[in-house]
Amino acid sequence: MADRDRLTIELWILRYRPAQDEEPHFVSYTVTYTEEMSVLEALQSIKDEQDGSLSFRWSCRMAICGSCGMMIDGTPKLACSTFLRDLAPGPVKIAPLENFPIERDLVVTVADFVKKIESIYPFIMPKETKPVEAGEYLQTPAQMAAYEPFSDCINCMLCYAACPQFGANPDFIGPGAMALLQRYNGDSRDAGSRERLDLIHGEDGVWSCTAVGLCSEACPKLVDPANAVNQNKTNSAFDFFLRGLRKENHS
Amino acid sequence: MSERRPYVRRQSRLWWASRTYRGYTLRELSGVGVAVYGAVLLAGLDSVRRGPDAYAAFVGWLSTPVAIVLHLVLLAAMLLHGLTWFQTLPKTMPRLIVGGQAVPQKTITNAAIGLAMLCSLALVIGALS
Repeated sequence: MADRDRLTIELWILRYRPAQDEEPHFVSYTVTYTEEMSVLEALQSIKDEQDGSLSFRWSCRMAICGSCGMMIDGTPKLACSTFLRDLAPGPVKIAPLENFPIERDLVVTVADFVKKIESIYPFIMPKETKPVEAGEYLQTPAQMAAYEPFSDCINCMLCYAACPQFGANPDFIGPGAMALLQRYNGDSRDAGSRERLDLIHGEDGVWSCTAVGLCSEACPKLVDPANAVNQNKTNSAFDFFLRGLRKENHS
Repeated sequence: MSERRPYVRRQSRLWWASRTYRGYTLRELSGVGVAVYGAVLLAGLDSVRRGPDAYAAFVGWLSTPVAIVLHLVLLAAMLLHGLTWFQTLPKTMPRLIVGGQAVPQKTITNAAIGLAMLCSLALVIGALS
């Protein structure tokens, strides 16, 4: 019993403090842990008891805020839903999310990602707006099933860390923003897919994707961003060949 | 005092060779095998065009050890490519809704594999009869 309470595990954490460090380097910490302890709790215990300067993002502790994504033994995961018991005996390598610039320790730059999700018109654009008195925009369960999983995205960016093509081309719109785009394009109440078309063309649109598919495996919410990206390749190709037939191009 | 100096890690040029992406790399490489087999079939077709002697030489080459080993390798590439392609298939199509519910991706993959096996079987039976 006493032994069980005194399990220890070694964590190698990639640290980078811009004021002191030329480049990131691994620092070893050993923590005492219990069966139900998550990687996030281990980081918190290090910050509390060993090194107050360790920086990482977190908020909800229950895999819904999307703040604590990081590379754990080379795989993008949420620190709050990854448990030390599954990583024992260690040592465990913890690094900031791959493919993003490091601000400090485990904190990465999110500005580009935020710009991308802002750029895709992330709201329902109805064909005709109607007054409140006219009632709701109705939707059948089947119409909802067509987009519903794409609305589960928590913007944790694990899919971007899993995507080697985003690593190669940081301007690639990427899996997360495409999942959000498809969430609206696929919504029967929305009529904005024409406006969103320009964002999916070219290498910075969907065509950087080579269907590696690891974005969907990394997703903690089963959003399947690879599906969102790849079905929009069809949309982009159709538009490329058929845009000459569109009415507004013949006015 | 805060000092912003974001550190950009460079992606390894050999990222595709890492264990993480091994499955993907094998899938893409097996596509080369499919292309090579296409070339073998085309060479056979071309030998038919060039006459009976050329065709006999092509059929003769098919039974050499080199050709047999090549075909075994190409068969393995073909099977891997077929399997992984059908696993990718549901990712490339819009969500299929039947009776108000999404059809599971596994069902789509299995149906496609089943259809491909039926077609292959029909071809083999057709060729043997």
